[in-house]
Amino acid sequence: MCRPLLAAIFLATPALADYREVVEGHILPGYAAFAAATDDLAEKAGESCDAEALKPAYQAAFDAWMAVSHLHLGPADEKGRALAIAFWPDPKGLGAKAQRGLLTGDPAALAPEAFADQSVAARGLMGLERLPYPDEPPAADPCALIRATAGDLARMAGEIEAEWRDGYADLMLSPGAAGNASYLTEQEVRQALFTQLATALEFLADTRLGRPLGTFDRPRPERAEARASGRSLANVRAELAALRDLTARLAPEAADTLAAFDRAIGLADKLDDPVFAAVADPQGRLKVEILQGAVKTARDTAVAELGKDLGVSIGFNAADGD
Amino acid sequence: MKQTAFALLLTTTCAGAAAAADRAAVVETYADIAQATYEDSFTTAVALQKAVEALIAEPSDKTLQSARAAWTEARAYYQQSEVFRFGNPVVDDWEGKVNAWPLDEGLIDYVDVSYGESEENPLAAANIIANPKLEVAGQEIDASAITPDLIAGTLHEADGVDANVASGYHSIEFLLWGQDLNGTGPGPGARPYTDYLQGEGCTGGNCDRRAAYLRAATDLLVSDPSYMSGAWAPGGEARGVVAASPEAGLLAMLTGLGSLSYGELAGERMKLGLLLNDPEEEQDCFSDNTYNSHYYDGIGMQNVVTGHYTRVDGTEIAGPSLLDLLKEADGTLAGQLEGQVNGTVAALGAIKAAAEAGMSYDQMLAPGNKEGEALIGGGIEALVAQTATIERAVGALGLAAVAFEGSDSLDNPGAVFQ
Repeated sequence: MCRPLLAAIFLATPALADYREVVEGHILPGYAAFAAATDDLAEKAGESCDAEALKPAYQAAFDAWMAVSHLHLGPADEKGRALAIAFWPDPKGLGAKAQRGLLTGDPAALAPEAFADQSVAARGLMGLERLPYPDEPPAADPCALIRATAGDLARMAGEIEAEWRDGYADLMLSPGAAGNASYLTEQEVRQALFTQLATALEFLADTRLGRPLGTFDRPRPERAEARASGRSLANVRAELAALRDLTARLAPEAADTLAAFDRAIGLADKLDDPVFAAVADPQGRLKVEILQGAVKTARDTAVAELGKDLGVSIGFNAADGD
Repeated sequence: MKQTAFALLLTTTCAGAAAAADRAAVVETYADIAQATYEDSFTTAVALQKAVEALIAEPSDKTLQSARAAWTEARAYYQQSEVFRFGNPVVDDWEGKVNAWPLDEGLIDYVDVSYGESEENPLAAANIIANPKLEVAGQEIDASAITPDLIAGTLHEADGVDANVASGYHSIEFLLWGQDLNGTGPGPGARPYTDYLQGEGCTGGNCDRRAAYLRAATDLLVSDPSYMSGAWAPGGEARGVVAASPEAGLLAMLTGLGSLSYGELAGERMKLGLLLNDPEEEQDCFSDNTYNSHYYDGIGMQNVVTGHYTRVDGTEIAGPSLLDLLKEADGTLAGQLEGQVNGTVAALGAIKAAAEAGMSYDQMLAPGNKEGEALIGGGIEALVAQTATIERAVGALGLAAVAFEGSDSLDNPGAVFQ
């Protein structure tokens, strides 16, 4: 007995640039810029530990990270690099605790190789933020720690960039090739990128915006990301732009999704609340909630529209856990 | 312009109606195993309750040890049920009160001075056992009687903070073992039985309230799995959801397997601990039982893949399995999945063997412990490898379209193929 099965078949894709466009136009230049910005930050730190001198380079490095922070696959996912580059949220305050240990402990831990083995919570952009933007006077001269952290960031950024350029990009661009166990079909590549997009939008709505929002009765402005450096809203804005760019390359015809991104980006542009301090005030809160709603709409639209256009569903991802 | 086109083609599969029946049977095996696993969680929780009553009635080293042994036994069955969590909203919405982790244990009882303060949780050191009155988000709470209602209704996740874990396995674990103050050195928590002595000899203070807390938390641990085994029994809500559509049931199975493998176990519970080098980043951090908890997660996944479960009383449940179904659809993929799931059990088994030989899980997390790092890394690698195959199985079984249907919902962000 035979029964009909409904199958969606991807027919012809001669001019399909989609995932190649993402790898070559979005991922590789993004990591190259991040590597350059962190090199510059390490160089500036080497010249001076003066907070004011460091801040522009720090901000530029964080900007560059926000263009690629949504990519949790390949080299960034290896050796805990993405977590070490930006360990957030940190509800238990592990970063501050581990960093205090490094600041006052054996300086041998600051040597490059030893530092790379330290807790991811103490390192990276979030660790570095506490040094030029301290909320309390440091327990010891932070200069050596600033240099170690900046150098470690530049090392990781350089490794990610090199590994993408010299291997992982080829893997993504040659699905089904002999020896390519990571991507057996073009659809698996699309699914991987689509999963990054959907997961990042969820993180934006639920965590970057959801944590400071808390509940109406219990708003949590103190939980906003990168408050000390004043980047909470800037990070949301930058990630939306990065995800829009990814979408425009992966599925240029996804008009509804791109429009949903434009709406969310427009709302972020108009929001005059750099660290979401106003979430405790009903009027201010409403504006952040509207932005959060627009991000959720962008996510739902992307999942529906791109899922259909690309013929893929969301894959397993690191955000599946608690 | 991008040249894409979709065509809906009618293809045929000659397994026909038999295949549809097989799918339903596979889902039925799954629901049977779920029901049995929760029943066994209940049975072993009842045994724990008995041991806890004996400890409270007659505190001694012996009664404390047997309560700890009963907790460890119950844990082995609960962990096998974790494979049902993701993919079944009925389970996922419920499990937080049974197995929430990590926790700020200072909410419950005394802690060492090294515990410190939490930037985000004003209740992190509230110590309910010592304080019959406490303030939660500006409201005074009367905790003079420690009851299941107080724990479940007021204290659990108090002030909207996830780390306020007042109920479940880990709260009881803390009450039986106490804080593990050995860092990445050997040895679990060392709570003395005298913490439960009533009157003279009581250590840690408030032994009456500690006993009341332990009793109330254990009562909850008995009633919660009982509810869930009912949900998987014929006519129950959870079984109803997966039985209604074999395709949705299969998807729930694969979602549960993939999410537990990757984001939860390999990521949150194993990789993060390794990257933080933090001895508290082990799931059973008071008892040092983490190796068993991970191992039985692996066994639970094997149960679902092979359609086979060995119950606490030794009886076996077996039926048509996911693997059988996959063998028909794609023999190569089925072979891979079988090998990888066995490989995961072997890798998690290696961690268990090393822990039983003396290197506990928190010691494996110590910076510079290359052997420990390799053991945990081996588990992570095995889990990641099987995740890719589980993802491919969704396509091989023709479930991608089903996965796509519910995709506009943010209601259940834990589920994957939404």
